Amino acid sequence: MRKRSWNDQMFSGVMTIILILCAVIAVIPLLSVLALSFSSKIAVNTNAVTLFPVGFTLDSWKAIVTRPDMWRATAVTIGTTLVGTFLALIITSLLAYPLSKKEFGLQKGIMIMVVITMIFKAPTVPYFLTLRSIGLYNSVWAMILPHILTAYNMIVMRTFFLGFPREVEESATIDGCGPFRTLAQIVLPSSKAVIAVIGLFYAVTIWNQYQHPLYFISDMNMFPLQMKVRQFVTESSELQTIAAKRAVNYTERSLKAVVVVFAIVPIMLVYPKLQKYFEKGAMLGSVKG
Amino acid sequence: MQNASQRAAARTHSKGLADNFRKYWPYYVMAMPGVIYLIIFRFIPMLGSVIAFEDYQVYTGIFSSQWVGMKNFVNMFTYSDFSRILTNTLILGALRILFCFPVPVIMALMMNEIGAPRLKKTIQTAVYIPYFLSWIIVSELIFDLLGVSGLFNRARALFGLRPLLVMQQSKYFRTVYVFSTIWKEAGWGTVVYMAAIAGIDQSLYEAASIDGATRFQKMRFITFPMLLPTVITMLLLQIGSFMELGFEHVFSLLTPMTYSTGDIFDTYVYRVGILQAQYSITTAVGLFQSVIGLVMVVFFNQLSKKISDDGGLW
Repeated sequence: MRKRSWNDQMFSGVMTIILILCAVIAVIPLLSVLALSFSSKIAVNTNAVTLFPVGFTLDSWKAIVTRPDMWRATAVTIGTTLVGTFLALIITSLLAYPLSKKEFGLQKGIMIMVVITMIFKAPTVPYFLTLRSIGLYNSVWAMILPHILTAYNMIVMRTFFLGFPREVEESATIDGCGPFRTLAQIVLPSSKAVIAVIGLFYAVTIWNQYQHPLYFISDMNMFPLQMKVRQFVTESSELQTIAAKRAVNYTERSLKAVVVVFAIVPIMLVYPKLQKYFEKGAMLGSVKG
Repeated sequence: MQNASQRAAARTHSKGLADNFRKYWPYYVMAMPGVIYLIIFRFIPMLGSVIAFEDYQVYTGIFSSQWVGMKNFVNMFTYSDFSRILTNTLILGALRILFCFPVPVIMALMMNEIGAPRLKKTIQTAVYIPYFLSWIIVSELIFDLLGVSGLFNRARALFGLRPLLVMQQSKYFRTVYVFSTIWKEAGWGTVVYMAAIAGIDQSLYEAASIDGATRFQKMRFITFPMLLPTVITMLLLQIGSFMELGFEHVFSLLTPMTYSTGDIFDTYVYRVGILQAQYSITTAVGLFQSVIGLVMVVFFNQLSKKISDDGGLW
């Protein structure tokens, strides 16, 4: 008996150690880039920085946060995320609600449409040409409209509405509520959890998006943060020029690190508070309609 | 407006859409924006695929460009580029299933063995983080990590090894793809399995304890078999979306030096179609990809439905 429980503890211990290692691997690249962003030029150039800042300095940060283009990109990202998430929640719930009602004559037909969009992806080129022809080229809407209705999110929401107690809605109907008022005043207020989850998924998609701005936005004044990161990181000549000045206390590498951290910070700030909603959402997703 | 009895009556009496519309017009109004959206953003682009059968010119447009039938497809199959991107797509897809798919399953099984809830929570928080970063950010982290002065090459130096430029050599691209997928997605992938594990009947474990089973035996003979249906469903869905390797993922890791192993359908179509404006041929390539994708998804979805009751996406 004693030996067995010792075995069990060994087993648990080994599993725990492996997982702690996984957790460390997950965060090491982030710590490394964070350390670089606060380190001095000499420390970065002599490879002295691993996971903690060496020769702590805010110079790299100052060089980046004083750039108006970084803040413009931040504003674009925040603006498109807010507007996009708001529109997405409206259009998604407006479609999901009638699709949860079997009285609705087009329920089957529209569900088939939705499933088709899930299983057949239009080729990229005609998709690009269509969106360009409706005026999305170099328009902020190119970063909003493509994301405001996804089949998967709609189906999760519909599944939730299907489980909404029918009696509650019916008593609202008896009290004289039409479907619009029932949705707005009865159903949506009691669906805060699912709305939070789906809103978060839309928000993360829009915040992190790169493909649509890459395809549609060539005007650098409209670049979102992700495009700005790409611009600095791949066409690094701009940062090289800044870092080439003699008197400065940063390098191209530490500037890149700042740009990366700059783009991560907002997500890292909200993530811990919202983690449980994300988990809930991933589990909702496993319940299909 | 309508009460319950009227609604019941409507269900039996309504014949035809016009009647249904008269009674339930608010539902039609609600669904309208979504339906119009789907038509413009999803269906018109699908129909736009006809340019794969045309010699499409921007100035003449879809309707008056010359019809060339299967010519673009015939040309496509003779391109050396085509066999390269097809091979790369298939290999990356296969590696993804072989090496990336099992990781979250194993991690979830291990996670279940951690006794301390606080420690478990902390580990979960840490391993989920990469999932919420964009591929651009992740690729920059990787480029820095694997650069000449990155942590990887400094670790090599500790062992007296010379620096290895991983990102610039085509032979390492697939390895980088696999590892980056695992780093970003494996942690988050555990959520589904953890939920399934949480649903396992606790009395099974109690019975096993009475029989003197070790923790490993419980994992091997209870948790794993109970988790298997979820694993199989997820596996079939993953195989079904074989062709979706993620444009942003591959594109952000790709350099011209790694095209020979890393260039896939999506990145090729972007370069040649969007940037070089060779619209018809790249639409043919894209349509080929979409049709294969469609067949795979439908086939594996049906298979998954056959295997378990609640399998499948629809």
